[in-house]
Amino acid sequence: MVVLFPLLYSFWMSFADVSLLRATGPALEVFGVRLPLFRFVGLQNYVRVFSDPLYWSSLWRTAYFVGAFVLETTLAGLGMALVLHERFYGRPLMRSLLLIPWSLSRVVVGLLWQGILDFEFGALNGLLYNVGLVDRYIAFFKHGFSALNVLVSVYMWNQAPFATLLFLASMQSIPIELYMAAEADGAGYWQRLRYVTLPAIKPIVFLVLVLSTVNGFLMLDLIYILTMGGPGYDTTTISWLGFLTAFTFFKFGPGTATLYTLTALCLLLTFVYHRVMLSRFEPEM
Amino acid sequence: METTTRRTFLRNVGLFAASALVIEGLHRPVLADKPVNFSGWVFKPDTVRDYVGFYNQKFGGQVKYEAIPWAQYHPTMETRAFAGEIVDVMYCNHNNRERWYENGLIRPLDDLPGVDELRKKMSPANLDSLKSKDGSKLLGLPYFTSLFILMYNEPMLQQAGIKAPARSWDELVEHCVKLRRDKVSDTPFLPNWNNSPSGTMPQFMTDCFSEGAQVFDAKNQLIVDQEPGAARAMERWQKVYKADLVNPEVLTKTSSTDTHRLMWTGRYAYHTNHSYYLKTIAGEPENSKLAPKKAKMTMYPGTGHTYMWTDSYVVNARTKVLDDAWKFARFLGGNLNGDWYVQRQWCLISGLDNPYPEMYEHPQIIQSYDRWIDLKLLRLQYEKGRAIAAYKEPWYGEYDTKAVPIVHDMIRGNLSVPAGLKELVKLQRSLV
Repeated sequence: MVVLFPLLYSFWMSFADVSLLRATGPALEVFGVRLPLFRFVGLQNYVRVFSDPLYWSSLWRTAYFVGAFVLETTLAGLGMALVLHERFYGRPLMRSLLLIPWSLSRVVVGLLWQGILDFEFGALNGLLYNVGLVDRYIAFFKHGFSALNVLVSVYMWNQAPFATLLFLASMQSIPIELYMAAEADGAGYWQRLRYVTLPAIKPIVFLVLVLSTVNGFLMLDLIYILTMGGPGYDTTTISWLGFLTAFTFFKFGPGTATLYTLTALCLLLTFVYHRVMLSRFEPEM
Repeated sequence: METTTRRTFLRNVGLFAASALVIEGLHRPVLADKPVNFSGWVFKPDTVRDYVGFYNQKFGGQVKYEAIPWAQYHPTMETRAFAGEIVDVMYCNHNNRERWYENGLIRPLDDLPGVDELRKKMSPANLDSLKSKDGSKLLGLPYFTSLFILMYNEPMLQQAGIKAPARSWDELVEHCVKLRRDKVSDTPFLPNWNNSPSGTMPQFMTDCFSEGAQVFDAKNQLIVDQEPGAARAMERWQKVYKADLVNPEVLTKTSSTDTHRLMWTGRYAYHTNHSYYLKTIAGEPENSKLAPKKAKMTMYPGTGHTYMWTDSYVVNARTKVLDDAWKFARFLGGNLNGDWYVQRQWCLISGLDNPYPEMYEHPQIIQSYDRWIDLKLLRLQYEKGRAIAAYKEPWYGEYDTKAVPIVHDMIRGNLSVPAGLKELVKLQRSLV
């Protein structure tokens, strides 16, 4: 009830002419709460969404954002997990510190990075200027493509630790005997990584890909804090467009339709990942 | 000697207690029967709590106040209405007022006692702003009014040998070029081109007005593609951006508040923003390097006209405590206390202006403004304030948001000025 009902109701809204302030007409009664069904308009909201050029430009931008984010998060997460899997002095402390970016709320992450990257008072600009690497402050958000990449990197900084945690847990469950046997066969570090570690963590790679893809599609808060979709529309993604449509233009029908296209895309990509990665994976019995 | 029996003792105690209650009751105002629910967006909620407390104590109210973050305020109020909750008195910004009225969320105030007197005291332009689209109903009482002003950094101009602030746009650009060339400032000009509803588009209208252009016609249709003044304003924006006279990241600032904070650094020569921001820039040494009064205002260049709007307190159409809600609304947006109590608080604490000229005669107000602005000049600028009626149209909110990227593309040179202005008109027509 808790999961399914909001899902179904919001899905219904994507096929309806919704006005929160004009909630007359037929309604459902759920535990004494009246839930209007609004006027059914068929596929009208979806047609409207798909005929908006802004939707398509936002979709390509979203695809770039998600692609870059998934790649960066997976590689950075894997890289950090490989480092933290090794034995070295201070490893427990490093493992604990790693979780800090992930545990911060995204609003805080946005404000933190605003403080680091700002053109006027950003710490990074101050540092680069003081050590003589730049003679003028860099405007990281001046150009749309650069602003979009900043968003990708900041979100990766926030999310990669969780991927690291998953990879690390998976690596620790690989039997040590496998590494010993590989070493006995003369396998070096890279060969052990390729033939022992990576095949063993394949299900976790799948999980990280799915989670980061979904998170990438849904990312909203950092856009809100750092760029509000600008400059121009250069950092406007589908989730931001859906949010604007629903909560700024108060068009909840087209807004939910926009956001349900994201849900469809997430499901499609999860299916593709599953087919590509796990179709030939044999779990140990 | 008279003895006190148990019976007389109890009788006297009873009489004493009863008289104490009666006397206490005489000194305390009669409490309202039911609480008045009051919601506003987050802006100095402690100040609001203070005056709500003052009201409850002095007028025997039972007002319950709740602050909701600005970004979610209007959707939240609509969601609550959707769920059947009644918030009796609410803040409402100008863009949403007509829609709330047309959809039955708020009621007109014309039939309520004392409203005619308040109407007479308000500046006509602000009164028009608060009326329904057809002009027949008053939909709210004023929370505050604001308009765009031009501020300048006096020490920086003096350092560069500039004796007086710019009086024309050409002069302002000339000053900025000189300041940059002389390495006095990297980016001397700080227009309010931020990405929020209070940023780029109000600034766009302001600069169009100052160039003598109309933005909307009498039927609220956008006509900037036919207005040479609008093209001149946009060409100037392109020019100052291309010449690196403006902080390029102002386009991704998320609020006017964030934008005005840049002026605190003292690194900009000219800044255009809402009038009340000069309060922190020039009046708060703990925040700003340009306080006290190193930043000043000067009349807006060109025609001097700038965009002005009025945000409001509104009364829920389904309130069950209309008398109490209206009494409280009059305390907030009228003069129930007889000394413009709430308006004075906002003026003194935040520099928020209001449409009652009478209040500006209060000595406390004159003294307070004197610490950060030339009040006479501000009042003159208000006389040049221009309100629009287009925000009462149902399409306005969407137009206002979707126009920002088009204007930003013009500023950045991704769109030519004529093409950009045509694009704006096309957008507006597509939403009607």
